[in-house]
Amino acid sequence: MAGRVLDAGLHLLDRQLVDRDGRLAGKVDDLELTFPDGGGPPRVTAILVGPAALGRRLGGRLGAWVEAVANRLGDGEDRRPARVSFAVVKRIGSAVELSAPKAELETDRLEAWTRDHVIGHLPGASDAPD
Amino acid sequence: MRLTDLLGAEVIDQEGRSAGRVHDVRLVQDGPPVGGFGASLRVAGLIVGARGIGARLGYQRRHVKGPWLVRVLAGWLFHDGRYVEWDRVQTVQPDRILISVPVRDLSQPEALESG
Repeated sequence: MAGRVLDAGLHLLDRQLVDRDGRLAGKVDDLELTFPDGGGPPRVTAILVGPAALGRRLGGRLGAWVEAVANRLGDGEDRRPARVSFAVVKRIGSAVELSAPKAELETDRLEAWTRDHVIGHLPGASDAPD
Repeated sequence: MRLTDLLGAEVIDQEGRSAGRVHDVRLVQDGPPVGGFGASLRVAGLIVGARGIGARLGYQRRHVKGPWLVRVLAGWLFHDGRYVEWDRVQTVQPDRILISVPVRDLSQPEALESG
């Protein structure tokens, strides 16, 4: 009956996410905990990724600043952190292995947005090789 | 709720005594199955203490030997760690968690065998 025991901060936070094909897909910045409908202790339902999650975790002025920058960049449209459902987690080791390809994850949305709205506008961005 | 709603929050008993702040959350993989991961992770309890650096370094785990000087130092840093079973948690408020068990009755967190 006894399942594997983990400490969330020690074994999950800041771990690298690796997609089905071995590509890097962000880091664990926070966890979503959900109370079951029928009562009982909360369960981990998702991994949260990105500056919107990290800012809250850092706390204090630095955290508020990171969250404010994330909100500013998101222009009000995508303030929530990227959510990776625990249903696509395959294994937790030195990295967190996922069973889905990166393109299907919300973390890819953040990366694509940053590329199109921030990096793409930097002087010389169009000179970069593909 | 998020993990970060728990981490860093001060744990207070019914007499108003503080057990320190939450520096980690213990999870047990024995919940209902979720996708390919198998059993889901259940929140089992809070690791609380005024000093959490020893735990952060992984020195509360039995199999971690490490340099003796670091081990002794980490052991001292961790000596006041306490464990609160989740069913003793009454209310989670912003930066404050109320528990139903007196601080003096809390035990030390059990060391993890592997991880």
